[in-house]
Amino acid sequence: MRAYLRFELRRLVRDPRLTMFTVLGPVVTYLIFSPLAGDDRLEGLDAATALMVGLAGYGAVAGALTVAGSVAQERASGWLHQLRVTPLPPWRVVVAKTLTSMLSGVPAVVAVGLTGVLQHHVTLTAGRWAALLLALWLGTAPFALLGLAIGYALAPHLAQPAVFLVFLALSVLGGLLVPVAYFPDALRHLAHVLPTYRFAELGWRSVDGRAPAPAGLVLLLAWTGVFAVLAAGAYRRSTARR
Amino acid sequence: MDDEAVRLAGLTRHYGPVRAVDGIDLSIARGSTVALLGPNGAGKTTTISILLGLAPADAGTVSLLGGTPAEAVRAGLVGAMLQGAGFVPGATVTDLVELARALYPHPLDADRILRLAGLTGLATRRVDRLSGGEAQRARFAFALAGQPDLLVLDEPTAALDVEGREAFWTAIRRYADDGHTVLFSTHHLHEADEYADRVVVLAAGRVVADGTPAQVRALAGARTVTFDLADGAVDGLEQLPAVRSVRVRGDRVVLITEDADATVLALAAGRGFRGLEVAAPGLEAAFRALTSTGTEH
Repeated sequence: MRAYLRFELRRLVRDPRLTMFTVLGPVVTYLIFSPLAGDDRLEGLDAATALMVGLAGYGAVAGALTVAGSVAQERASGWLHQLRVTPLPPWRVVVAKTLTSMLSGVPAVVAVGLTGVLQHHVTLTAGRWAALLLALWLGTAPFALLGLAIGYALAPHLAQPAVFLVFLALSVLGGLLVPVAYFPDALRHLAHVLPTYRFAELGWRSVDGRAPAPAGLVLLLAWTGVFAVLAAGAYRRSTARR
Repeated sequence: MDDEAVRLAGLTRHYGPVRAVDGIDLSIARGSTVALLGPNGAGKTTTISILLGLAPADAGTVSLLGGTPAEAVRAGLVGAMLQGAGFVPGATVTDLVELARALYPHPLDADRILRLAGLTGLATRRVDRLSGGEAQRARFAFALAGQPDLLVLDEPTAALDVEGREAFWTAIRRYADDGHTVLFSTHHLHEADEYADRVVVLAAGRVVADGTPAQVRALAGARTVTFDLADGAVDGLEQLPAVRSVRVRGDRVVLITEDADATVLALAAGRGFRGLEVAAPGLEAAFRALTSTGTEH
């Protein structure tokens, strides 16, 4: 599997255009909107830091979900069939794909973090920066799996818009763009069960030096399980035909 | 060690009412080069997909190198070049070759793979920037890299120009000469004729002929002689010179012959007929006529 992982990483590095978009979106959004929150306290943090974490999470989710388009294309092109006639077991293809798509979220996290430092002089200890990066990297697992599920289930021309809609809904309703503090009650309650909110919560707590909330962790794991089942099912169905 | 590379028994696959594969039995000896010859829609790709474990069969069994397709593939005994299989953008030719080499237990040397596939000089080129023919050669390199015992090629020369084809077949022949088994599909008679030890002809999901290239070539020269019986006597038609098969549809008789002149002369000498036609049926029609049981389709 290491050879295949290396192969996928090389591809990722060689084609940075996709990553560019996942980086630019949150950085520009942060530059424009972070001054508007003023002195508000959000998620128990100062606004500049809370928004930085939210938008870093937004970029990380976008990065992880881009796997949908590439997987749909790989399936349509016949590359997955080509791999299936090599000794590489299919589940390893799925695992390697999950790991690489989790990595495609990292550049956005770093970029938004840097913007926070430069624009608002956000200061964190090295340990908390590391914890934030780790949280927003590992926490993308459910989104990578969701992207795989969509990519294996739909044709390329449908996977792109589908994943965009899902991404927009999850990130807006999960409070990654506009913090849930500004939400009406009903929407806020909805946000609290969404994987995006619970994902960002990992980040908010880690910059505050707190361990993950047990309820949040359980919810995030549950979503991960659901998306893993969906991805496995979609994968099985997509390769069974023909 | 089992000396069969492939054994298909009673293989059947339906897509709705269409019988893509309709009861194929086939055994391929290790070390041989076998062509699956047939028109589009004959069932070549479906047969190959089932053989490789990519598609399920409705009925029948497949054995590859003594195991199931999945076992043979997992053990790195099989390499395949699939029809229209694309590559992923962002990877280079070298990335692909190195991936294949890492996945198989006894790969060929990287330089040798590039040389065999005619890709020396394109090693650092991205696969999404290769021409159609170059991409086809890259597919070949990927299939070959692991030095599989059985190399399966589905319509391998489809995207190649004339020179590309020649180089390709030279490489295949060299690979087969090292004792590897090669199974390829094609709809070009001359490819099957020139490069295979054995030609298996498929039509409408069945094996309709199976023999040496010379035997198949003889069949390809066949003509049909069609006429209405004037006196109604069917007996003895198969005794006419050069006739290979006789089929009767109502009053109309269809003969397949290897020498239409001789058949027609003898026919005219012996009996009455009306509306005689002589035609070159083409390879598939000849095979189908030869193997049909005389019932009307």
